[in-house]
Amino acid sequence: MKAEILILLIKILLLVLVIVFGSIAYSMIYRRWRTKRLQLIESTFAKICSLYLYPAPNEESNLIEIQRELKAVGIVPSKPRNVQYLIDLMIRTQRSILGNNYTKLKKLFTQIPPYGASASKLTSSKWYIKARGIREIYEMDQSQYTRDLIKLRNDDNIYVRREAQIGIVIFLGWKSLRFLPYLKRQMTLWQQIKIVEKLNDLYPIPDLNHLRRAYNSDRPYANELIMRIIRKFHLTEDIAYIIQFIDNPKFEIREAAIYCISSFSLSAEQLREIKEKFYHISNTEQQLMLLKYIQRISMDIDLPFYKDLLYNGSDIIKLSTADILWNNGYKEEVQEYYYHQYTQKADSESISV
Amino acid sequence: MRKALVIQEDIIILKIIERLVILNQYECRAIRSINDLDIEDQSANFDVIISDILFEGIAPLDFVFQIQEIILHKSLIIVTNMGQNKIEKEILASQNVRGFFPIPLDMDNIQKLIA
Repeated sequence: MKAEILILLIKILLLVLVIVFGSIAYSMIYRRWRTKRLQLIESTFAKICSLYLYPAPNEESNLIEIQRELKAVGIVPSKPRNVQYLIDLMIRTQRSILGNNYTKLKKLFTQIPPYGASASKLTSSKWYIKARGIREIYEMDQSQYTRDLIKLRNDDNIYVRREAQIGIVIFLGWKSLRFLPYLKRQMTLWQQIKIVEKLNDLYPIPDLNHLRRAYNSDRPYANELIMRIIRKFHLTEDIAYIIQFIDNPKFEIREAAIYCISSFSLSAEQLREIKEKFYHISNTEQQLMLLKYIQRISMDIDLPFYKDLLYNGSDIIKLSTADILWNNGYKEEVQEYYYHQYTQKADSESISV
Repeated sequence: MRKALVIQEDIIILKIIERLVILNQYECRAIRSINDLDIEDQSANFDVIISDILFEGIAPLDFVFQIQEIILHKSLIIVTNMGQNKIEKEILASQNVRGFFPIPLDMDNIQKLIA
């Protein structure tokens, strides 16, 4: 009886082994076949691109022939993975070519098979497919889908709406400020930086009309975004927009305002305004940053302002003010304050015995 | 007929450059890596070599010096993904390098050099 069970066990194990080895062999063969297939698609695509960009003299490139060639290597709607591979190749190619050829390639890509494959991803229920579709659309410069991207700017998923917002900026440039300051959801710092950088890369000449219209937005992230844009494009005439947020009750907005203002130098009037606002900042660290900035851009020392801080500021502010005064030749004022504290303490504090 | 050697790992860039070179009346040998070079290439005396500088087993600058020593040629053009300024400066400082083009590139610039 025991021998029979053993034999049965051995048979089952053998069967498992056969299945395991079989699947390993299958996956090896499949992978080899798949790599060959992808290489074939790649080399066919390379040949098509090269012939399209540089056709023989007196010869027009034949689009039907191109479509037939791609179909022959497996670019058909029933094989989405091949189609995806082709899209990746297109994006890669478009990223590496500039000049006339870039425009030519863009035209070619609107005419060969997977047209619409990226756009159809926008209707997917999965966020990563949607986001990928948006990315493909803007990477391949298919601006005919701008409207679809605008619809997705407030999507529930952060990655989808991020990609859509970047796409809108790429296609519409400064006009995108018609939408971006009025989004339903917060925008992260990283996304703000990405938008500012994209604007700077693709549309380096600022369109003040669209920017100034966005000044009315009351969303906190929009204020930060606009301040960053003013800083990046060095719009000296719009500094007043940043100054108004220096003493904003919200920490993040103040932080952005102080950061952005520090790349400008100010007029005497603006400087006075900032000094007034200085007292309304509730955070010492930020006060300190602003104090350093004021000192950096001021031509000469505003003694009444510093003396006021020296006597009435918090301890850290007092220390920094003393530092500034001392290093700028006002040692007597600092010494005077130094002795003043002792006389005060001697009067008010009782000494324990 | 003039002779050209193109070495690019990216097959799409390789094919496009090959096509450009052929249309400019060159006899073109296009390969994807330095392993595909053979003994005949050494004495082929190419008019132009258009090459990448990123290859397995050799540092970019070493590659430029090596290829200048080993393969007979008149001028060398670099087309590469590794387009940092520092590399460009160092490579252009060596003799016989006619052009350095970081990807993304405009093929018209290459055409001007090889026409």
